[in-house]
Amino acid sequence: MNAIAVMLITQAVHGLAYGMLLFLVASGFTLIFGMMGILNIAHASFFMLAAYVAFQIMAWSGNFWLALLLAPLAIAFLGILMERVMLRRIRRFKLGKALVLFELMLTVGIMVCIEEAVKNIWGTDPQIINAPDALRGLIPCFGMTYPAYRLFIIGLACSILILLSIVLFKTRLGNIVRAAVQDAEMTVALGINVPLVFTFVFGLGTWLAGVAGVAAGPLLTVFPGLANQMLLDSFIVVALGGFGSLMGAFIISMFLGELTAFGVQFFPGYSTIILFGFMAFVLTFRPLGLFGERE
Amino acid sequence: MKRQFGKWCAWAMILGGLYMAPRVLGVFELNVLLGTAIFALFSLSLNLLLSFTGLLSFGHAMFFAAGAYGTVLVLTRLSGFPLLPLIGIGAAAAIGLALLLSPLLVRVSGHAFAMLTMAFSQIMYATVMKLSHITGGNDGISGFAIPSVSIPVVGVVDMALEQNFYYFAISILGLSAWVMWFFTRTPFGSIMVGIRDNPERVTYLGFSVPLSKAIILCVSAGFAGVAGSIYALFQNMVSVDGVLGPLSSFSPLINCFIGGLGTFIGPIFGTGIGTILLELMSAHPEQAQLVFSLVLIAIVLFLPGGVIMLYWKANTRWMAVRQNIQNRFFKRRIYE
Repeated sequence: MNAIAVMLITQAVHGLAYGMLLFLVASGFTLIFGMMGILNIAHASFFMLAAYVAFQIMAWSGNFWLALLLAPLAIAFLGILMERVMLRRIRRFKLGKALVLFELMLTVGIMVCIEEAVKNIWGTDPQIINAPDALRGLIPCFGMTYPAYRLFIIGLACSILILLSIVLFKTRLGNIVRAAVQDAEMTVALGINVPLVFTFVFGLGTWLAGVAGVAAGPLLTVFPGLANQMLLDSFIVVALGGFGSLMGAFIISMFLGELTAFGVQFFPGYSTIILFGFMAFVLTFRPLGLFGERE
Repeated sequence: MKRQFGKWCAWAMILGGLYMAPRVLGVFELNVLLGTAIFALFSLSLNLLLSFTGLLSFGHAMFFAAGAYGTVLVLTRLSGFPLLPLIGIGAAAAIGLALLLSPLLVRVSGHAFAMLTMAFSQIMYATVMKLSHITGGNDGISGFAIPSVSIPVVGVVDMALEQNFYYFAISILGLSAWVMWFFTRTPFGSIMVGIRDNPERVTYLGFSVPLSKAIILCVSAGFAGVAGSIYALFQNMVSVDGVLGPLSSFSPLINCFIGGLGTFIGPIFGTGIGTILLELMSAHPEQAQLVFSLVLIAIVLFLPGGVIMLYWKANTRWMAVRQNIQNRFFKRRIYE
């Protein structure tokens, strides 16, 4: 196989891995937004925090799998705490239209808070999480070799995606969640405890961000700026994919992952301008996003 | 009459304090004061969108940056340019950017507006980085001399002196703040509040909501440009991370929320509190932003009206107490 094809396929796998991570973060982001109307700016910060928590667990125990299990749970706990203690509190203030501003500002405050806390605890230097021995090295497949860890990320994200779609589309709980995304008020009227469902979705969303954060640790180095990059990318995914649309989020994540991978190769520096330009265009002329069904 | 007198007294004290500041304060404190004033104007211009029109902008720093870069580029490229038009150019650059973006921005509100402004400020960030041969990229442009001003009666005023520049900057900033305040008191200011509360009704009253939004955006951007322009002259440098960094759009928002949403002077209080906080934390600069964000969270959770709400609450409490005292000591006598 010639060198260019190898290079292209390697880049494609890189892009796929990043796209999968992006989807894990953005799916929680879009679910929370679609359901509660809260644009959780702090979502990507949870992703970054998870990487740091995983780094700490690794430093204590040296076991990657333990980190992958515990860190997302810790992050989900924080997320649930944030929903129940903070977001629910300001909903009671009867702020009317200004509620959106206050919710956004609260999440901005939490974002800054997490970032600064991380800088204070772990410092600004990049930290390195080592992948477990089983996932190091290269795996030969179809006459080529792929880095094992990227394949692991793709596999992990795919299995979570499948699990998520089973839960959302095949179970009663999923029906309730989707109903609440469609029309929260009507769902309450049917006698369903929607606030509890909100908490569940918030926890699920932050858990997904946590899984992505731990998985991203060995791939990207762990540093506080991780949140910013992820925030902007997941903004694009949610805006283009449509608010609350999982399918849209998946397609745009994959597209964005590939674009980032190939953009570095072919047109460095311009991909941001093109992407945000496209996002601005879509937001203005089709505020539902490319795959969204409702506002 | 008595209230009016108190008001005039307060104004006289503020103006006198600002006038006396260079004589009383050292160079460092003066710089802190001027920096606070610049960011107060920036926050005020954002507040025009936030409190009066109900639009949350996550990219207001792009107008600030447009003002800063506009001024600095003209200053360094064209020699012998007078100072006052330089500020005008900063404002014009920001207004130009607002005009360019307004056809897209006026169509949306709420979350979409926040995301759209964020997208545009990211585009601007990437563009400024890409055009580093003009803008200096990460290093920015620095080390330019501020041109002196010749005033007919006084003569030539050297702006390299901190004191002179302070008087110049503070008068421009004060004037801008006053013009903005006046703007909110005009009939157009009522349209702004109308757009915030009920855009459909504003349409039925015969005003064009998109056009009004565009005008408000231009006014707000213009004053942000003035703030940015003075900031660049004051810092004597402009760089991407200084004016377009991750926090530069959020910090004026935070100031507005800390000060008090829905009031005109809230952002000034917020910026002042922010400065005091930063100065108090100057021994531990790493934790300063952390404390700042915790204050913001606490304000949003426990005092949604901002710090200015404390004043209002104290004021009504004082009124009640005064009434109570009057009732006890004066009215009762009448009845007895």
